[in-house]
Amino acid sequence: MMSKDARTMRGARRLLSATATVAAVALAAAGCTGTSGGSSSASGSAGGQVTLQLGQWWEAELPAGSFAGLISQFEAQNPNIKVTLLTSPFATFSQQMVTNAAAGTLPDVVGLSGAWVSDFAKQGAIADLSSLMAADKYDTSQLASQVQISGKTYMIPVVNFVYPLFVNKDLLTKAGVSTVPTTRTEFTAAATAISKLGGNVEGWGLPLDTAVPNAIANDVMSWVWASGGSMLTSSGEPDVTNAQVKSGVEFVKSLYDAKVISPGTLTMKEQDKVEQFTTGQVGMVIDTLAHVTLVRKNNPNLNFTVAPIPAQDGYTGKRGIPYASWGVGISNKSPHKAEALKLVEYLMSANVNAQLSTLAKGFPGNKTAVPDFSKSDPLFKTAFDIYQSGYPANEFVGLPKAEQLERTFEEQLQQTLTGSQSVDQMLTNTQTAWKAIF
Amino acid sequence: MKVTPNDPGSAAQLNPTLTRPISGSRGILPPRIARKLPPYAFIAPTVILIVVLMIVPILMVITYSVMDNVVVQPSSQFAGLHNYVQVLTDPDFQAALRNTLVFIVASTAIHLVIGLTFAILLNTPMLGAATKAFFRVIYILPWLFTVAVIAVLWRLLLSPYGVANYLLTSLGLVRSGVDWLASPTTALGAVVVINIWAGYPFFMISLLAGLQAVPSELYEAAKVDGASALQRFWNITLPQLRPIIVSMAVLDLIWTSQQFALIWMTTGGGPLNVTEVLSTFTYKQAFSNYEFSTASASAVIVLFLSMILGYFYVRQQRAQD
Amino acid sequence: MPNMRKQQKRLLAKGGLLLALTAGAAFAGLPALWMLSTSFKANGEVFQLPPRLITPGFSFDAYTQILTDPTKLRYFLNSYIVALSVTALTLGAAILAAYAFSRYEFRLKSTVNIVIVGVQAVPPIALVIPYFGLMVGLGVYNTYAGLILTHMVFTLPYAIIMMTAYFNTLPRELDEAAKVDGANPWTALWRIIVPISGPGIVAVGLYTFMISWNEYLFALTLMQTNEMRTVPIGILLMMGEHAYQWNQMMAMSILGSIPVLVLFLIFQRHFISGLASGAVKS
Repeated sequence: MMSKDARTMRGARRLLSATATVAAVALAAAGCTGTSGGSSSASGSAGGQVTLQLGQWWEAELPAGSFAGLISQFEAQNPNIKVTLLTSPFATFSQQMVTNAAAGTLPDVVGLSGAWVSDFAKQGAIADLSSLMAADKYDTSQLASQVQISGKTYMIPVVNFVYPLFVNKDLLTKAGVSTVPTTRTEFTAAATAISKLGGNVEGWGLPLDTAVPNAIANDVMSWVWASGGSMLTSSGEPDVTNAQVKSGVEFVKSLYDAKVISPGTLTMKEQDKVEQFTTGQVGMVIDTLAHVTLVRKNNPNLNFTVAPIPAQDGYTGKRGIPYASWGVGISNKSPHKAEALKLVEYLMSANVNAQLSTLAKGFPGNKTAVPDFSKSDPLFKTAFDIYQSGYPANEFVGLPKAEQLERTFEEQLQQTLTGSQSVDQMLTNTQTAWKAIF
Repeated sequence: MKVTPNDPGSAAQLNPTLTRPISGSRGILPPRIARKLPPYAFIAPTVILIVVLMIVPILMVITYSVMDNVVVQPSSQFAGLHNYVQVLTDPDFQAALRNTLVFIVASTAIHLVIGLTFAILLNTPMLGAATKAFFRVIYILPWLFTVAVIAVLWRLLLSPYGVANYLLTSLGLVRSGVDWLASPTTALGAVVVINIWAGYPFFMISLLAGLQAVPSELYEAAKVDGASALQRFWNITLPQLRPIIVSMAVLDLIWTSQQFALIWMTTGGGPLNVTEVLSTFTYKQAFSNYEFSTASASAVIVLFLSMILGYFYVRQQRAQD
Repeated sequence: MPNMRKQQKRLLAKGGLLLALTAGAAFAGLPALWMLSTSFKANGEVFQLPPRLITPGFSFDAYTQILTDPTKLRYFLNSYIVALSVTALTLGAAILAAYAFSRYEFRLKSTVNIVIVGVQAVPPIALVIPYFGLMVGLGVYNTYAGLILTHMVFTLPYAIIMMTAYFNTLPRELDEAAKVDGANPWTALWRIIVPISGPGIVAVGLYTFMISWNEYLFALTLMQTNEMRTVPIGILLMMGEHAYQWNQMMAMSILGSIPVLVLFLIFQRHFISGLASGAVKS
């Protein structure tokens, strides 16, 4: 009969030897497993065979296996190139890319967001695509847009996600509003009417979380751009104290003061805004078109539509519509830039780009590609028409430290909304802060 | 716990390999060195690991902090203490410092109170072992989950239309849903509550262990002397637990000051910077401003402050030995 | 009469105790319960009002999706490999170091002690970039070895503290006697001290395993490909750019907490007694 101590000793010894065995095996395996998947140097090549790394966050947002399928097709067309997909969570993607860039281990082809381009380019982390494309005699006229710094292209938008106004038609009708608002006055009236319905329902959702401050581009500055305004001078310097930006901010403040905005604004994240719209707690939100499928899936009975963002009363010009892109660039340290360009060109080719856009529910970065709307939601056609009749507007793309610019604006806006400073004060502060960054 | 080993001498008798000397006339090393060698040899693996994987990166961070244009630009240059001045005079840093102090002191204090309370409840002689084991398992649940999930889960629970508000309004404790994480007045408190939930199990277990180690004779003697439960707690339990409480408190202050993910994923440092702590400040400097010099300076300041706490911890340890 | 009053008092006390315990359990357990409930919901039901524990869309889909996906299963394998290795190696190094601190006085003792405690104070977020460069330079980026060594650095300090405290409760006469008989320190440690350190080893081992299993910042930074990722990062991957897969996230978290829960269930008494001996003298 063993004593308790002896049993514990035996158990602990067994535990020790078991884990020691695992450790030994693991350390032995560590050498092998590490190098096969993706080792420290960016890519490998052996006798003509080239392995490229494609770092992105898109795979998780596309239907399972679809992205891998497109990549396999590329490998089939280019038998000497293998592509390793490195998928990372979007929330931490920029942090990881900064870390990778610092250590020189950026993937050969790297997914980019417009907000990071300027700083990566300045760092020398991403390559000048203009010269690469010229060397390959690539026809750049088919690209809907290119993100350039000092005249050189560093990022090509692959898929564009526009942010129209999502409107819950049932709530509108219940509130007694017959038409979708097209001017700011109509919007305020509609939001007020919806909020009056009570029962936790509000008119508008505004996610001002400072961890990811892209609401400034999508939900705040969009009002300015929708009325043809700009936050920059013609030479690209900050100009937030102009009349149009002021009018846009005052408009947002008026909505906040009228209490037609859903509670929790100051730390609300984009995902929360979408959830609230889906469950019918919020009547109108500015949101990415990519969410149409999500909303339909989570609430098939929701009767909603998309519309252009309302403009200032009396404005008849073209309306800017905010957008975010899945962009792509090439690592400056990649030893296989030519092959990397081939992958980029593949993603931008009319056929593949159209497929990718359809899968992602976005608009193609290739002008000649036409997404297949036939099998998808009719709202995509509606949005496409809005897209064609307006112009894509996101002035933060390509700005230095764009995320910091947005965050500064957002922090100042939060102070104004909660009443601790005037709109003028806020804009002056922002102007000063921005000028220091530029 | 009492240890009753077998006769120690017999171990050597049973196994001759135990008697192989390392020093002496048949040993490899001269006796003086061989006598001094063992402790250094034993701490060697740890020291090597910590030197390579901790001291080196820390030195790199300190180097970054006294230079400009590090990491993101090819041409770095020596900048003296200018980054430190910049950080210390930054009102955001000062706000972060204040918030961090509030955060860590509140968290630690309440961790101890809750940990002690639960430990006392779990140590009671009045309930059976099975009941106690059952509750013990429930009480350590928060310890099982990774920080990212805890942050996301509590965002769900504390959202304006979430479960917390639903329960509180149904019970009549608040009139209407409160914006726990988004209102400047409640955000810091809410974040403290989440951190308390996530971290109390460790305290509870350590204190429970401590409670079980208090000799029962002390309590019995006190009962004979007519001491009440409260007096027994105050005069026996607390003094006996004092060493653990102090150790845990210092360690918790240090660990909590590093908390990043929890705050970043719930409030991002907002609203209006009320939950901005030193770790979120450092993160924003590094990964949003791309200012690694100031981020490193900020990190070194945090390191310095924590080292002060660490020094007190070691001093207190040695005072007890 | 007085006996019955005493019995009533006892019953009242017991009742109050159970009430307090239940209230505490509500605080501790409700969020976990909510996590479980969310894992069974359809994604659209997560934000429904009023909130309900069981929704019409109740299903095990999230679990089946995870358990039949080889990529996701791989995350669990990686977590096991890393956590078990870290536990074994940390235990080994901690036992050695703790023996030195417990049984010896040597010149650098205080310095090393302060350094070991002090390194816990380094903010991990600031270390990310130099660490990353170091790991790439050492050639262990995206390998088990890199993450294992990193986790060891973070678990060793407290492991050494706990183990030292535990060894301090073992009478020196034991190993002194062995040394008198001519045993060298190595054998004294492994043949005498360690065999009677069961609870201490369990305490340190369990604590180390939990820390390593749930660690997320360096697991995110140091592992690049999906084949090498651990469970916390697998969960993070479900936080997409545009939407969260709530049910899968919660399901994965629940599945991920099971190993630690099982270990705790098995070892809890030894865990606590291991801490107890260490606690009093620490």
